[in-house]
Formats: sequence, C-alpha cells, structure tokens
Amino acid sequence: MRLIRFLFAFLPLAGLVWALSVPLKAGDKTLPALGRFFSPFSGFWQNAESANAPDAIPIQAKLPALKGPVEVVWDDMMVPHIFAGDPNDAAMVQGYIHASHRLFQMDIVSRQTAGRLSEVIGPRTLEADRLIRRRGLPWAVERNWKSVQESPRTVQLLEAYAAGVNAYIDQLSPATLPLEYKLMNFEPERWSPERSLFVVANMIDALNNRDNDLAATNSLAVFGRDTFNYLYPNWNAKQTPIIPDTGQWADIQPLVRQETVSGQTAPGSAPPERSELSPNRDLNGSNNWAVAGSRTRSGAPILCNDTHLPLRLPHVWYVQQIQTPQFNSYGIVVPGVPLLAIGFNSDVAWGFTNCSHEVADWYRLQWTDGGKTTYLLDGQPRKAELRVEEIRVKGAPAVRDTVRYTDWGPVVYDQPDHPLHDCAYRYVAHDPMKPESLYEFLNISSARNYDDYRKAIPGLEALSQNVAFASRNGAIALTVQGKFPVRQNGQGRFVQDGTAWANNWAGYIPASQLPAMRNPSRGFVYSANQHSTPPTYPYYYIGNFDHSRGRRIYQRLENMRDITIDSMKSIQLDNYSQRAADGLHALLRRVKREQLNDSEKKWLSALEQWDARYQPDQIAPSLFEMWFDSTYVHTWDEMENLRRQKTAVLFPEHWRFCELLETDSASVFFDELSTPRREEAGDIVTAGFHKMAARAEKMPSDSLQWHTFKGFVLKHLAMLDAFSRLDVSVGGSRNSPNAISSNHGPTWRMIVEMGAPIRALGVYPGGQSGNPGSRYYDNFVDAWARGDYFDLVFLSQSGEQNPRILARQTFTHGS
Amino acid sequence: MKNFILTFVAVLAGGLLSHWGVPWWGLVPVGLAAGWLIRNTPARGFAAGFLAGFLLWGIWAFALDHANEGILSARIGMLFQGLGNWTLILITALLGGLVAGFAVLSGSLGYDLAFPPKKGPYARRRRRR
Repeated sequence: MRLIRFLFAFLPLAGLVWALSVPLKAGDKTLPALGRFFSPFSGFWQNAESANAPDAIPIQAKLPALKGPVEVVWDDMMVPHIFAGDPNDAAMVQGYIHASHRLFQMDIVSRQTAGRLSEVIGPRTLEADRLIRRRGLPWAVERNWKSVQESPRTVQLLEAYAAGVNAYIDQLSPATLPLEYKLMNFEPERWSPERSLFVVANMIDALNNRDNDLAATNSLAVFGRDTFNYLYPNWNAKQTPIIPDTGQWADIQPLVRQETVSGQTAPGSAPPERSELSPNRDLNGSNNWAVAGSRTRSGAPILCNDTHLPLRLPHVWYVQQIQTPQFNSYGIVVPGVPLLAIGFNSDVAWGFTNCSHEVADWYRLQWTDGGKTTYLLDGQPRKAELRVEEIRVKGAPAVRDTVRYTDWGPVVYDQPDHPLHDCAYRYVAHDPMKPESLYEFLNISSARNYDDYRKAIPGLEALSQNVAFASRNGAIALTVQGKFPVRQNGQGRFVQDGTAWANNWAGYIPASQLPAMRNPSRGFVYSANQHSTPPTYPYYYIGNFDHSRGRRIYQRLENMRDITIDSMKSIQLDNYSQRAADGLHALLRRVKREQLNDSEKKWLSALEQWDARYQPDQIAPSLFEMWFDSTYVHTWDEMENLRRQKTAVLFPEHWRFCELLETDSASVFFDELSTPRREEAGDIVTAGFHKMAARAEKMPSDSLQWHTFKGFVLKHLAMLDAFSRLDVSVGGSRNSPNAISSNHGPTWRMIVEMGAPIRALGVYPGGQSGNPGSRYYDNFVDAWARGDYFDLVFLSQSGEQNPRILARQTFTHGS
Repeated sequence: MKNFILTFVAVLAGGLLSHWGVPWWGLVPVGLAAGWLIRNTPARGFAAGFLAGFLLWGIWAFALDHANEGILSARIGMLFQGLGNWTLILITALLGGLVAGFAVLSGSLGYDLAFPPKKGPYARRRRRR
C-alpha cells in the first residue's frame, strides 16, 4: 500500500523529469528539452540581457597569453575600440570579443565551408556538406593552411585570435551558452587558425562562385552560334565600364594570343543536358565610389561604399576600431577573422565591390576505365587521386564519400544523371594562397598613401574585388584586384574538353596589367559590378555584370558638384532603377493601347506617370515588375520550355531584352510557340499587360504597395522566424543603387570624408550583438530602413574623452 | 504549519543554491531531501514544494524578463506559436512547481516506505533523526 502511494508520487516525478529532459521532435526539427530550456537558471531566460545596463559588453577577462594590457572602449553603438601594444594582443582580444558577440555565427560559417554542418544539425544538411566538400573547398583550405604555416607571423596572429575565441568558449557555462546552442542542442567547437581560413574561404566562395558554363553550352547546342551571339552579347554599348580606355593598355602584350577558340569547347552538336541548377544565383554586388576634393564642398575627398550581400541576423559584418603601434583603423570585419575588410584610418579610406569575372571552369573528362579511376590527358592515361570525405552526421551513421581529383581539379557531381557528371572543376579558389597574404592585406590598415594601398591589396588573393581608395592628401583611385585567368577569346564560356592540357588557363593576368585608375581628371572613380573595362582591354574575360546601377551612379556623380555627405547619402539611398527606366520605355512604346479596357488604362496611366523610383508606398513598381516579368517569360518561352524540362539554359540579359523590344520587334523570339499565329513584340507586351492587370485587380491595394509586394525579410542565420525581423518596410530594388531586394541588399553603408578631422558615417541592418535576447541584436535595423546613418566614433587614443563612450575595460595577462 | 513553512523555505533556498553548478533538475534532489527530512502530510508536502518551485522559477524568470524589457520573451514566444511573456513565465513557474512538488512528495512517501510509521500513515509524529 505504501509502495503504491510512493509510486503515485515517484512515477509522475520520474516521468516529468524524463519528459522535460528529452529533445522534442517537431517535423524535421528538434526542439530543446523543455526543462533545460525553461529553467530560469540555465535556459533561455539566462540569455535575456538587461536592457538598461549595457549587459552586452563582454565580461572583463584575463587572457593568459597577452603580452601587455589591452584597453577596450565601448561606444553607444556597442562598437569596441581596441587599443593594444602588439598586433597579436589586438588579435587575441578581437577573438574574445567576436566570440562573445557572434560565436554561433562564426561556428556555423566555418562549419558550412568545412562541410561539417551535419555533425551538429543532422541529415538535413548532408547534401550541402557533400557538395561543398566535392567542390573542393575543405581541400583548398587544407592547402592554404599548409602554405600559411610558412609564415610564422601569420600563424602567430591566427593563433592569438584563436586563443582569444577559446578563452571565451572556456568560460562559458550551460547558463551562458549562446541561445542558438540551447535551442539546437549542440556545443560550440573550439577555434583554430584553420577555422579562420574557412571563414575567409566562405567569403571568397560567396563572392566568386559563379559560372554559366553548362547553361551556355546547352544554349549554344540548341540555338547555334549565330543565334547565340544574337541573344547573349557580352557587351552593352550603353554601359559605363569601371575603368575607361585612356590608352593605358596600348603596350600590353597578353600572355596568350587572342584567337577564337574553336576545337576546344565541347561539341556544339551535343544534345542539351538535363540540369537542376538554378539559372541565376548571382545577386551579390555592391557600389563604391570616391570623389576628389575638386568636386566636394569641403575640398576633402569622400569615399563611399555599400556592400550588397544576403541580409541576415546576426549580421555578416562586425564593426570595430583597432589601434596598435602600427596602425589605427576603423571598419568592418567578418567575425572569425582578425582583419578589417573595409574601412579607414586617419590617412586613407578603402572600400570594395565584387568583381564579377567568372573564375571557375568545367572540363569534360574521358575515362579510360569503368571504375573511373583513369582519364585521358593529351593521349596519355592519368590516374585520378581519390580523396575520401568522411562526413559525421548527428543521429545517423557517418557517410564516406569518395571524390576524384584530376589535374584540372575535383569531379564535383557523382550522380550519373547530372549534366556535369564526368566533368572536372577548375576554380580559382583552389589555388593555395601565398603564406603572407593575410599579413599583406592587414597592411592596408596602416596604409598612409596610394603606394601602401597598392601594395596591400594583392593580399586579397582570389577574392576578386574593385577596390576604391581615397586619401587625406587628396588622391582617389580604383583598382580591379583578383586572380583572373588568362583566357583565349571565348574560352571558359562553355564546358571545355578535358582531354587536352592546352585548354588550361595560361596563368593569371599580372597585377600590373589589371585595370586601374588614379586621380582621373573627371574627379571621381566608381564601380557597381559592371564590366571592368571596355572591350579594348587586351585580355578576354566573361562574367555576370550589372548594367543598371553603374549607369545611374555614373550619371549622378558626373552631374554633381559641391558634393557633401548628404549628397552622397542621396546616391546610396537612390531607389531609381535604370533597368526599370529602359524597360518601361520599351514596354510603353510597344503596348497596344487600343486593346486595353478602361480599368486596364487606369494601371497604364499609373505606369506612365512612374519615374522608375522604387518607393516603398507606390504601386507602380509592383505593376512594372509583374508586367516586365510576364512579358519576359512569354518572349523567352523557348528557354522557359527547356527550363521546365530541367535543362539549364541561358536567359538573355534584361538589357538585351529591352534592346530587342526597341530595335527588333519582329524578332522570331517574340512569336509564341504555343499559338498558331505569328506574334510580334507588341502582342507579347500587350498580353503581358493583360496578365499583369488581371493579377493586380485581384490584389488588395496595400499588397500592391512595393514594400509589401517585395516582401522584405531579415532572416536569422538558422532561418528561425522567431529571431528574424519580418516587419521592415523598405524601398529600392535589385537594380537600384539602393539595391534592396527581398532578402538581399546593402550590408554596410559607409561614407568617409577625408578631412581633418575625418568624418565617417555608417549603418547596417542588424546590431553588434548576435544574441536575440539583446537590445543590441537589431538596434540598427530601423535606422537602416529609414535611410539614417550613425556618426562613427573614431578615437585617436584610448584616453580620449567622448560623450558617446559607454564603458572602458582593460584585458590583462593572467590565468 | 511550521513544517510546511520549513519545507517551503528549504526547497526555495536549496533550489536557489542548487542552480549554481547543478543542471536544470537541481530542484529534484532538493525536493526529495526536503520531503525525506521534514514531515508533512502528502498534500502539504506537495503544496509546499510546488509553491517554492513555482515562486522560485516564476519570480526568477519574471525578474530577468523585466530587466530585459520583454525583448527575448517576445521572440521565444514566437517559437511556441505566439505565446506572450506572461504565459512563458507561467509555464516556467508551473514546470518549477510541478518538479519541486512531486519531488517533495516522493521524498516524503519514500521516507514512509522506508520507515513505516506505527499508527496509521499520517498520524502526527515527531521528526526522526
């Protein structure tokens, strides 16, 4: 009897403890064990930072390996200003601070590039892990690390940084663990120099990984050479390239002769191949420019940069100031790496945009055996090296995956029905970096002048960027930097023949011959991911170039005098789209007005009055997008049909589409295949209008407003809606200088006026803390959405007084 | 009544202390020990434990949420189909209360099982050493 009574109490207790201890399953996601998660002593409540006191400031720590004390000053943006007597000490404190604000992000980003997400997430990420490994990223990072080890000072820098991160990890308790770990049931992994290299590789890959080789090969096979050239010209005569031809290339003798490639590309008669590849993932872009003192009101040069990347919380960048005896600079870093990427010091400012050259190629192999271990190269059999990738998977057995490495590079796709099956992948990010590259680029922080800047930027290695520059002594410059393959004319646009070594890249364009300009008489330099040069540049290159933002920014800068910081803001925040202006002109010219009914004419007049600005509360941008898209899809039904059959195929670029609407309205491509009659441009444009009108009629007017139509979301890194911001209303479009699309856009708007003193402004859509329980998690978001900027606090020394300083702390040596 | 208060205070204080270093189930050994050592009727024991656990977890959660101005509880609430911060605090408090309540009850009935009382299970009796 007593036993039964006892069991009546004990069994519920045991049951309760058990139920609260096991992770819950909800679909394919696991929720944390409720007991641990809800306990106010160890669960999520512990991540609720006090909103008043700046709880977000990391606790003051003793770092065993510090050589001297390091002072850290925190300002009201929660930006750390780190004052160290030694660069390695500065790196160590950066490691500690980055980890205390962004540990989960660093951990995930480095795992992603290492192909090790499945270890902590489970089978859901297995394919992503497999693909990144098969693309050779971890292999390349191993080689980078081997190379970097030849530079003791680089190793010391990275080790100091890792020691700082690990000092933070070591003092964590179950209660202070970042929230995402509690939610996703895993623990942070200790940091190492290699993990920093994975973060670097992630950035390079995010910006450089693009190619259309397969789609181009298929399009050539389907349409033939002449139509191919008609549909996909490389050069838009209306665009303004980054570096104009001023005769500076006249003396260059390219390393290879410019002959049109014929036999080397995959045969054009081959049947089109199936593909699941998405045709266009290339959204990453940016704007930067520098104006000379001759154009500014203050007489000082101004440098501006806004980098367009996927928008996430926690934010991709972290803002900081670092002072060591060698330099004093302010800017943004990728958490995980102790190097400022973009920023300024008291003498110079620099900023990046992505350079969209294609730096990856595919080579079709000819295997000589059924087991695919030997392939033919210049008539000789070559053995592929086999590399076994072991992927550990949470809650499932480890997966072993064998990747074949050829002289070209790895064979990425092993699924026999994949169109790039049996193709080897040559990717510029596979080349090991030079041992001193990171240190070389660190020197941009201490640059005093143009020469220092030119010396530092090759340290970016495979990261191909347009690097703008301005200095206090009045210089402005722009340099195209990267490792660009020397190609024969047409080489690399299509899948190439991998049996002849002659199809290999003939090295890289020498740095001295890369496009660059300094102090042009027009008084400004700028870039917006457009072509680097006009076609007169002696080297052949291909890529996905933007044709819209560059033209607009050029017009604005060219017409601007007496420039102030406010006029620079007005370009960064410009919602005008050159693509829309061109597209609207062409569509309005071709639409058959007599075929529109009265309610359709209402939409037409809204569009006729539209000024091509994507303002958040207008409906015209939404109407235009629907009209343009439906006309575009119906025009290119030839490609759309192929795409539906899962064949990767190139779609003509938007500027070419507009051009054809204007100049070749009778083109056979305007004829719709599914109808017996022969359409011309006007018919397709009008049909597109009917479709748009029918859709618009059905939508409530508030969901037609551009900001709603666009559906902007600021997602958490792990796609948790609860930690995302879904309520932000913004204008702009992919092709506006203010390039905000639904989940992508300006990640760091920066304006630096190089006067005395320097005046710098910046803003990003996020916050310094990665903790969703902190008020510093998203405290910049609304300002960013409104188009406001923060004045950046740039201190000359640690003791400097400033009303915006929140706290000062000193990190000391000790254990 | 005295033992009720004693149990309540013991669970509250022990619970508080246990949370430095012991995982979330710190209330379980504390409740078991309090139930074992301090005599109460089952209902009173459970009530004392429940109240102590409820208040300990509830007030602690409330204090953190208050200082945080509800920033985090709003986000966590969304994870659980849009619960409000008060509901989250109530859930937290209930979990603490139930765990502590059943722990005290188990401790108390476990004691009875090990050392059967002479006159009926719940007659008034002195605490044994």
